[in-house]
Amino acid sequence: MFGFAALLLTTAFLPGCKKDFLDRKPLGQYTADNYPYPSGGGPYDQFVNAAYASLRTGDGGNTAVSGFNFMGAVSIRSDDGDKGSTPTDAPDQVAMDQFPVTPTNGLINDLWNGYYSSVNKCNTVLYQVGHDSTGTAQDVKTLATAEAKFIRAYDYFMLVRLWGRVPLIDTVISSISQTNTKQSDAGTVYAFIESDLQFAAAHLPLTWSSKYPGRSTSGSANALLAKVYLTEKKWGQAFSAAGMVISSGAYSLDPDYGHQFTETGENGVESIFEIQAYADASHQEDANYGCQYANVQGVRGVDWNNLGWGFNVPSGALTAAYETGDPRKDATYLYCPSLVPTKYGEIFPTEPNPAYNQKVYTNPTYRSMVGDQFGWWMNVRILRYADVLLMYAEAANESGNAAEALDKLEMVRARARAGNTATLPKVTTTNQDDLRTAIQHERRIELALEQDRFFDIVRWGIAATAEHLAGKPNYTTGRDEVLPIPQQQLDLSKGVLTQNPGY
Amino acid sequence: MLICFTLTASAKGFGQKKLNLQFQKTEIASILTTIEKATNYRFLYDNSLKGVRLKINLNVKDADLKQVLDEMLANTGLSYQFMENNLVVIKETNPGEQAQSVVTGKVTGDGGVPLQGVSVQVKGTNKGATTGEQGTYSLNVNDADVLVFSYVGYDSQEVPAAGKTEINVTLVLSKQELAQVVVIGYGTQKKRDLTGSIAVVSGDDVAKMPSTNPVASLQGRVAGLTIVNSGQAGAAPTVRIRGVNSTNNSDPLYVVDGIQQTNIDYLNQADIETIEVLKDPSSIAIYGLQGGNGVIIITTKRAKKGQSTTSFQSNVGVQQVNNKIKVVDAAGFKKLYSEQLANISAAPFDYSNYNGNTNWQDEIFRSAIINNNSISFSNSTDKSTTYLNLGYSNQQGVEKFDHYQRYVGRLNEDIRVTNNIRVGADVTGSFWKQNPPVGGIENEALWAAPIVPVQAGPGLYYAMPSFQRAQVANPLAAIDGSNGNTLNSGYRVTASVFAEIKFLKSFTWKSTFYTDLSTNSSRGYTPLPFHYINLGEGGTSTDTSYNNLAHTSVSQEEYIYKTYQQDHTLTFDKNFGSSHLTVLAGFSTLYHYSEFVNGNRTDTSLNIPNNSTLWYLNVVQQSNPGTYGGGAAEDASISWLGRVNYSFKNRYLLNVSFRRDGTSKFSPSHQWGNFGSVGAGWVMTDEDFMRDISWLNFLKLKASWGTVGNGLSIGNYLSYPALTPANVGIFGDHIYPSVAAAYIADPNLHWEKVEGKDAGVEARFLNNRLSLDVDFYDRKTHDILTNITLPNQTIPYFTNLGTIDNKGVEVTAGWSDKIGRDFKYSISGNVSVNKNNVESIGNGINFQIFPNGVNMTQTGYSIGYFYGYVQTGIYQNTAQIDKSPHLASAAPGDIIFKDVNGDGKIDQNDRTNLGSPFPKLNFGGNINLSYKNFDLTVDVQGVTGNKVYVARRTATFATLNYESNRLNAWTGAGTTNIEPILDNTRSNNFLFSSYWLEPGDYFRLRTIQLGYTFNTGTTLRNSGIKAFRLYLNAQNIGTFSHTTGYSPEVPISSPTAGGIDNGIYPVPAIYSFGLNLTF
Repeated sequence: MFGFAALLLTTAFLPGCKKDFLDRKPLGQYTADNYPYPSGGGPYDQFVNAAYASLRTGDGGNTAVSGFNFMGAVSIRSDDGDKGSTPTDAPDQVAMDQFPVTPTNGLINDLWNGYYSSVNKCNTVLYQVGHDSTGTAQDVKTLATAEAKFIRAYDYFMLVRLWGRVPLIDTVISSISQTNTKQSDAGTVYAFIESDLQFAAAHLPLTWSSKYPGRSTSGSANALLAKVYLTEKKWGQAFSAAGMVISSGAYSLDPDYGHQFTETGENGVESIFEIQAYADASHQEDANYGCQYANVQGVRGVDWNNLGWGFNVPSGALTAAYETGDPRKDATYLYCPSLVPTKYGEIFPTEPNPAYNQKVYTNPTYRSMVGDQFGWWMNVRILRYADVLLMYAEAANESGNAAEALDKLEMVRARARAGNTATLPKVTTTNQDDLRTAIQHERRIELALEQDRFFDIVRWGIAATAEHLAGKPNYTTGRDEVLPIPQQQLDLSKGVLTQNPGY
Repeated sequence: MLICFTLTASAKGFGQKKLNLQFQKTEIASILTTIEKATNYRFLYDNSLKGVRLKINLNVKDADLKQVLDEMLANTGLSYQFMENNLVVIKETNPGEQAQSVVTGKVTGDGGVPLQGVSVQVKGTNKGATTGEQGTYSLNVNDADVLVFSYVGYDSQEVPAAGKTEINVTLVLSKQELAQVVVIGYGTQKKRDLTGSIAVVSGDDVAKMPSTNPVASLQGRVAGLTIVNSGQAGAAPTVRIRGVNSTNNSDPLYVVDGIQQTNIDYLNQADIETIEVLKDPSSIAIYGLQGGNGVIIITTKRAKKGQSTTSFQSNVGVQQVNNKIKVVDAAGFKKLYSEQLANISAAPFDYSNYNGNTNWQDEIFRSAIINNNSISFSNSTDKSTTYLNLGYSNQQGVEKFDHYQRYVGRLNEDIRVTNNIRVGADVTGSFWKQNPPVGGIENEALWAAPIVPVQAGPGLYYAMPSFQRAQVANPLAAIDGSNGNTLNSGYRVTASVFAEIKFLKSFTWKSTFYTDLSTNSSRGYTPLPFHYINLGEGGTSTDTSYNNLAHTSVSQEEYIYKTYQQDHTLTFDKNFGSSHLTVLAGFSTLYHYSEFVNGNRTDTSLNIPNNSTLWYLNVVQQSNPGTYGGGAAEDASISWLGRVNYSFKNRYLLNVSFRRDGTSKFSPSHQWGNFGSVGAGWVMTDEDFMRDISWLNFLKLKASWGTVGNGLSIGNYLSYPALTPANVGIFGDHIYPSVAAAYIADPNLHWEKVEGKDAGVEARFLNNRLSLDVDFYDRKTHDILTNITLPNQTIPYFTNLGTIDNKGVEVTAGWSDKIGRDFKYSISGNVSVNKNNVESIGNGINFQIFPNGVNMTQTGYSIGYFYGYVQTGIYQNTAQIDKSPHLASAAPGDIIFKDVNGDGKIDQNDRTNLGSPFPKLNFGGNINLSYKNFDLTVDVQGVTGNKVYVARRTATFATLNYESNRLNAWTGAGTTNIEPILDNTRSNNFLFSSYWLEPGDYFRLRTIQLGYTFNTGTTLRNSGIKAFRLYLNAQNIGTFSHTTGYSPEVPISSPTAGGIDNGIYPVPAIYSFGLNLTF
C-alpha cells in the first residue's frame, strides 16, 4: 500500500517539479525581445509602417484622424462645408457646423486620442532607434528618425491648430507617473514642430523607389514646414520652404484639376503627401487598410447611389464664391440630381442635399472591383503642389514680392481654366491687399472642401466675418478658433489640463 | 408462531404447483417441513445451519416453489438447489463467511410515519439496504455489526445488531441543517463545525426551475450573492459574491467535483446534489490565488449507498416578454419628429408615403419554448457504486431564431478495492449547439421608425426613411437575414480519476487527476441581401433597391481549450479525548491551454447556396478574397496547501489554512505568493451554563480572518512587452506589415490580494423552528489589477492600483412549523447590505479613472459610481435662465442643472455623485406550504439602492424612434419640468445628468410553484414507481420597478462601467409544467 502511495507521489509531483512549469512566454506573438526584424529594410520599418498607418487609423480602430471627426473639424467648421446628411442626423456635427462645439462633443475626444496615438507610434520609432544595439547603419537610423519626426510634426501641427495648447509628449512612457503632462503654449508646440520638420526636410529623400509611392519626402517636409511658417506668419521662412519644394522640380500640376482626386490620380504628379488607403474584396471597409474619409462624404442615396453618409456638402457661401465659369466648381460639386451624366456616366437622382463633395467621388469600376460602395480605398490629399504654389504666392506677397506671387497664382489659375480664356482672367494687381484677397480667394476655390479652409480663415483673421457671412452667427472670436479640450481628457487629467478660453 | 396457515397444492408436476403460504415469525426449518407435508418435495439440509433456525415472515399467494424459496431464503445466507427426484438441497451461500442472521424492521419518523428511502448500513462497510414504501428493510448482518440508519434531515442512529432479528427505529428530525456535511475546499466538514461563511443550496431547488444554467436559479436564495440573469437562450448570468472587489474581474471561481473552472455552462441543472457558496476568506483561502472573488462549489449527484433507482425529471415552459418598452406609435412619431424639425427650423418631413404603424418589438419577439429533461440511473453494491445521468435542454430565445440546445451525459463509478483503498472515475461529456441572436437587435427595434411597414413579401422588406436608413436597418430583415446563418456548437469533456488510500487508521491519501477539454466551433454564412422598398419622400418616388455588389461568403472558426489539474492531499483525522483534529496537506497544479483558428472567404464569382452543408471554406475557390487568423495562450500554476481543523469538546472550533501559489501569469520575480486564514468558533449552547435555556437550541459565535489572491481571468503575459501586428503600412497599392506594442507592459505586475474579516452568529430557537444567521464582513482588496486609460495614451495599461473595501451584513432567517398533521409551512428570508468604498486608487496615479464619462472610480466613493449633473427642472423661459446660474448656451426647454458647488455658475465642477450601479441591498424571500399532497412555493427577490443609466435613449447618431416619455417633452412654458425640448442639437441636455438615470430598485415575484405528489399507492406501486410529483411553475411574472427597460437587471459585469442599459436581452416570464418521477 505504501508502495502504491509512493508511486502516486512520484508521478504526481513530476510535472510540478519541472523547473520551467511556470515559465510561459507568449504563444504566437512576438515580444519586443524576440522580434525578427526583417533584414535589409532596416530594423525600424515595422514600427515606421505603424506610424504611417496611424495617420489613417489610430489604436483601437480609431478612424477619427482621417474620417468623420477629421472632416468635421477641418471642413464642416469652415464657411465652405455644411453638415449635409439629414437635418437631425449627427448633432455633434451640427455643433461643428453651427458652433459652439462643447467639451463633451463626441467627435473631439476621439480626434485627440487619434493624434496622440499617432504621436506615440512615432515616439516608439524614436525609442527603438535610440535603443538599437544591433549595429544598424547610421543612415538607416537617421531615415527612420526623419520619417517619424515628419509624421509627429504633422500630428502636432493638427493638434496645435485644433486646440491651441496641447501637451507635448516626445518619449514613450516608462512609468505611470510620467503620463499626465501639462499643456505647452502654442509657441512651444510650433517650435517643436519646426525642429522636427527641419530634421525631416534635411534627411528625407526627395523621392523613393516605385515600391513606396506616397512615402514622406523632403518635399513633403518642406511643404508642411511652409504651412507651419505661414501659420506663424514667418513669411520669409515660408517663402523659402515653399521655394525649395518648387525648385526641387519633383512636382508639377496635374493638367486636369479633377483628375488628381480620382483613383488614377492618387500619388500623381501633383501629390506631395497623401494619407494612403487601400481596399479590396477581402478588406472592404477595413480600418486596418482603408480610410473612412470618402465614406462619410459620399452621396447619401439608396441602391447604387448610396455612396456614403453625405456629410461636408458645399455651402451657399462657397457656391457664391466661384467666379463665373470656373471649371473647378463642376469638378468639386457632385450635383443631385445630376444635370449631365457624371464623368463616369452616372446620373444621380434627387437626394437629401443638392450637391456633395465630388473630390471623394469614386469610380464605379473600383466599387465593383472591391464589392463595396463606400470608397475606403480613397487616399486623403494632405499636401499637393497647387497648395504649395499658393503658399509660395502668399508668402511672396506678404514679403512684398508681388511678381513672384502673381507668377505662381497664375500657374494655378491657368491650370484651372484649362485653356478656356473666357474664364478666370489672369490676376495682375500688385497692390498687396488686393493681391492678398485674390490669393485668399484662390486658395478657397482651389482647395474647396479639402482640409485647409477653416485654418486659413483663422490665420488670416477673417474667420468671424466669413463664418457669419456663411450663416453661422454663433461663431465667436476668441473662442471658436480652437476646439474645447475634450471633457474626458480634462477629467482624466484631474485638473492638469485646463480648458481653452470661452468654453 | 404460526398464526395462520393455508396451503393448497395441486399435483400437476413441478412448477405447476401453486402454494399459498402465510407465516409470521416462523422458523425456516418448520416452514420447510410444512411444505414437505403438502408437496412431493423433500428438503435436504444440515440441521446445524444457523439459517434454518431463523424466524421469518412469509406471505405468498399462487407461487410456485421456486418463488417461495427465493422469497423465503432471501437475506438468510441460505441457497437452494433442485436435484433429481424432487429433492431440494438447502445449503449456506458462502460457507466461508461468518454466520449471519437477517435483521428486518421498520423505520418511522415523526408521528410514526413510515420513512421511505432511509439508508440502513452496516457501519464501516458498504453493505446496506434502503427502506421501502412502508419503511421496512431487511438486511444480512453479523452479530457484531452496528447498523447505521441515516436519512436526509434526520439525525443518524446507530444500533448494534447483537443477534437481534428485528430492529425498529424511530428517527428524530435533526437539529435543522446543522448536521449537514458541507463540502469545503479539499475536504468536508459538518455545517455545525464551520467557522466561515458558507451557504448551501440543495440541487433539488435548482432542478425544478426552468433554466438551462444552474447558477441562474440561485437568484434571491443566498444572502450576499448578486445574480444578474440574461434572457438569452443558454446564457450564463453575472455572479457577484459580496459586492465588487476588483476593477478587473469579479467573477467567482467554480469548483465542480474538484475541477476548477470559470464556466459551468455544460452542467445539467437537474444533476446537481448541492451548490455551496463560499463567501469569507477563511473558507476561500484554501483556493489561494484563484479564490479572490469567492468560490462556488458544485457537487454533482452520485449513487446513494444501497440504492438502485432511476429518476426522471422534465419541465417544459413558455417564455414571454411581459414588459415591452413603451415607444411611440406612428402617429406619435410623426408628431414628435415634426416638432423636432420645427424646433431646429428644418423643413418638415414628407410623410406621405409612410403609412405604416409598426411596433418593431412585436416583430422581433416571440413566445419561446424552454424544455429541460434529465434521467439518471444509479446503482450501488458493496464494492462499487455507479451513476449515469443523461440530460437534454432545449431553449428558444424570446428573440426570433435564438435557439440553444445542450446534451449532457455523465457517468461516475466508485470502486472499493479493499476496505482501505477506493478508486473512481468521473466523466462528463456535453454537446451544445446554438443559433445565436442578432447582436444589438434590441436597440434596433426600439430605434426603427414605426411609420415604416414591415415587409411586402418574401425577401422584400421596407427600408427605413432617409433620416435613419444609413444607421438603422429594418429589424425584421436583420433578424430574418441572419436566421440560421451562424452555427455555433461545442463539445466539452471533463473527466477525473482518483485513488484514495486509508492507512494507519487516521491517515488518508487522495490523488486526483482532472482534465477539462473542450472545443467550440462556429460556421457562418453571409447570404445575398434582401430587396428593399424605399418609400421615398420629398417627391422622390418609391423604388426597390438591391445591393448588386454584395457576395455570399462563408467563415469557419475553431477553438480548443485544455485544462489539466492534479490534486494530492494527505489528511490526518483523529480524536484525542475531547479533541478532534483534522490536518490536511496538499499539492496541486493547474495548466490551461487554448488555441483558435478562423478564416472567411467571399465568393466573388459564384453565389454559395443557402445550404449549411456547403458552408466550409473550401467551397470557395482559393483565389477568392478571404482572411485568416489564429493564436494560442497558456498558463500554469503550482500550489501547496495545508489546513488544520481542531475542535475541543465540540464547542471550541479552530480552523487554520495556508496556501502557497505560483503562477505563470506574472514575471518570475512576482510569481509566488502566500495566503492564509484563521477562523474560530464557539458553540455556546454546548456549555453547561446554557444547557437549561430551553428556547435556545443552538448558538454559535464565529470569527475569521484570511487573505486570498485574485489572479483569475487576467491576461496571460501581461508583464512581457508583447507586440501585435498593427494597422498596415500602405504606399500606393503596396502593403507593408507593421508592428506596435500590444499594451504598455508593467514588469512589476502582481496579483491582487484580498484580505477579509468575518464575524457571525448562528442560532436556532424554539425547537429548531426558528433559525437566524447573521454575518458581518469587511473585505479589502489590495493592489487591484486595473486596466486603465492613461492620459494621451491609447493602448491599454494593466497595473496594480489601490485598495477597495466592501463591508456588509448578511442576515438569513427562517421559520418552519406545521399545523396539525397535514399542513406544513416554512418562511425564510435573506437580506444583505453591502457598502463599497474605494479606499485608494494608488499612489502613482495622478489622473482619474473615468473611462466612459459616466462611471467614475475615485478614492472615497463607491466603485464606478455615476458622476454627472443634477437635474432640478426645465427652463421655462429666458427670464428664468437669466436670473440663475446656467450654461452658456442654455435656452428654454433645456434641463436646469443644479449649482452643486454654489459658486454661481454651472460648469464641470457641478458634477457630483449620482449613485452607484451596484445595489446596496439585495433581498430574497421564500415561502413553502404543503397540505397533504399539495405543495406551494413562492419566491420573491429584489434589490435596492442602485441606479440604471438609460443609455439606449442617448443615441444621437440618427433620428431614432422615441420612447413614450418624450410625448411629454417641453413645448412651451409650463408644460413640464422633467422632459427637455425635442431638439437633439441642444447638447446641454445630453450632458450626463440625473435625467438619464432611473432608480434601479425592484421587487420581483420570482417564482410561484404549485406541486402535487401522488400517493405511492397500489396503482403506482404496481408500475414500479416510487415517487411521482407534478408541478406548475411561473417565473418572473411580476416585477415592480421604476425602470423603463425590459428588465431592471442591467449588466454589472464591468466594475468600472456598470449599470448601463444600452440594449439588453429581455429576461422573460416563464410559465412551465414539470414532473419528477422515480422508479
